[in-house]
Amino acid sequence: MRVTADTGKCVGSGQCVLLVLEVFDQREEDGLVALVDERPPPERREAVRQAALSCPAGAIEVADD
Amino acid sequence: MTATVPATPRLPFDRPNALDIAPLYSVLRREEPLTRVTTPAGDPAWLVTAYAQARQIFADSRFGRSHPAPEQASRVSDAAVLGGPSGEYETEEREHGRMRKMLVPAFSAPRMRRLSDRIQELTDRCLDDMRAAREADPEAPVNLHDLLAFPLPVLVICELLGVPYADRDHFRTLSTRIGIIDSGGDAQEAMEEFKAYTARLAAAKREHPEADVISDMVAVQAQDPTFTDDDLSRLAAGLLFAGHETTSTRIDYGVLLLLGDPSRRDRFVADPDGQVQATVEEILRISAPGGLGLLRYAHEDVEVGGVTIARGDAVIISSNAANRDGTVFADPDEFDPDRKPNTHLAFGHGAHVCIGANLARTELRTVFPALFRRFPGLRLAVDPAEIEVRHNRLSGALDEVPVLW
Repeated sequence: MRVTADTGKCVGSGQCVLLVLEVFDQREEDGLVALVDERPPPERREAVRQAALSCPAGAIEVADD
Repeated sequence: MTATVPATPRLPFDRPNALDIAPLYSVLRREEPLTRVTTPAGDPAWLVTAYAQARQIFADSRFGRSHPAPEQASRVSDAAVLGGPSGEYETEEREHGRMRKMLVPAFSAPRMRRLSDRIQELTDRCLDDMRAAREADPEAPVNLHDLLAFPLPVLVICELLGVPYADRDHFRTLSTRIGIIDSGGDAQEAMEEFKAYTARLAAAKREHPEADVISDMVAVQAQDPTFTDDDLSRLAAGLLFAGHETTSTRIDYGVLLLLGDPSRRDRFVADPDGQVQATVEEILRISAPGGLGLLRYAHEDVEVGGVTIARGDAVIISSNAANRDGTVFADPDEFDPDRKPNTHLAFGHGAHVCIGANLARTELRTVFPALFRRFPGLRLAVDPAEIEVRHNRLSGALDEVPVLW
């Protein structure tokens, strides 16, 4: 699985971080999304998909390998 | 009895108790997910009850909080929050952008992580108070609302914003007054008092800045002449109000949900840390405080699901109803912490999504494990159906959650 996050769309809600801390974070200076792990392991897939579905700005995309 | 839908039903709809929502919502969602209603103020509006339409409108920038001709706008209620249009039509986008840019870092997940030990400490203090109350009068139930659900979010938001906790009774009263939907002019008057209060705080921070959000706002204002004192005091009042009422209400409703069925409580008590994340999301989805919804005005004609919403029309989005849409959530009226995914709309969606969501989640994820670890035998002292809901409160706040253990 490959994750991408678009800081141009991100509104800094932080929902992804609270869902999967191991994959997403927010930048200190502007609160926009920062990817911690672009290729999360299988056990995080479900949570990452939920983060993508929940993202209020549609800024997260998930692609299968 | 045949259930008939009145031509333009009037909000708020009667709800049977604190935990269930009005049955009319599911009828409307099935028959007319975008429907004409009459607001509590007596004006026409659209009500959105379906998930897809709610999410679509939240995400569509053609819907805003301002109105192109505010004097002609439908009003929802007398409340000073979500009662009618807010902001200027011409400048809404710019002002909203400035607000997010200024506040997003202050409520970001990294900041909340740094705050979490402090939230734990404050929670423990509230739990100590609950135990002391129980020991002081072993015959009487303890009001969890007064000793935990209300004070905890207030303590936290006071520290974040830089508001003296000693002023809590003052802004508690103001917060209640600004959210009364049938108050005549009192809610607006209360908002003016609230703004006068936060303006005084801001003036003090201007002299002696501290490490808090109101000081940050004052610093931004010093660089931006278009950010007026009125804007700042209104925003600070909004943060103080929204920063405690909403979370306090979700703690109350979460406790009612977890205690409403002993098997739910026992399941949670068995593994609070493992279950808290999903349990909090389910509490956010199914608890449905308040009988109205979030408000938008169409900034141009927009077609949604085959219905044309005309420029200027008011749209009330019921997240409570959308979160129980059976096409998205199986058995939507069942409390099911195993639900995956749980993409509820409790914080809204789109560019206006709740800025305090990380704070709320951090508090909720701290409070429930701490509460049930301390009092694993916690139970309600009354039937949940007897918990009184005030129908005229915007936030759906409760006054009493009597518990025993």
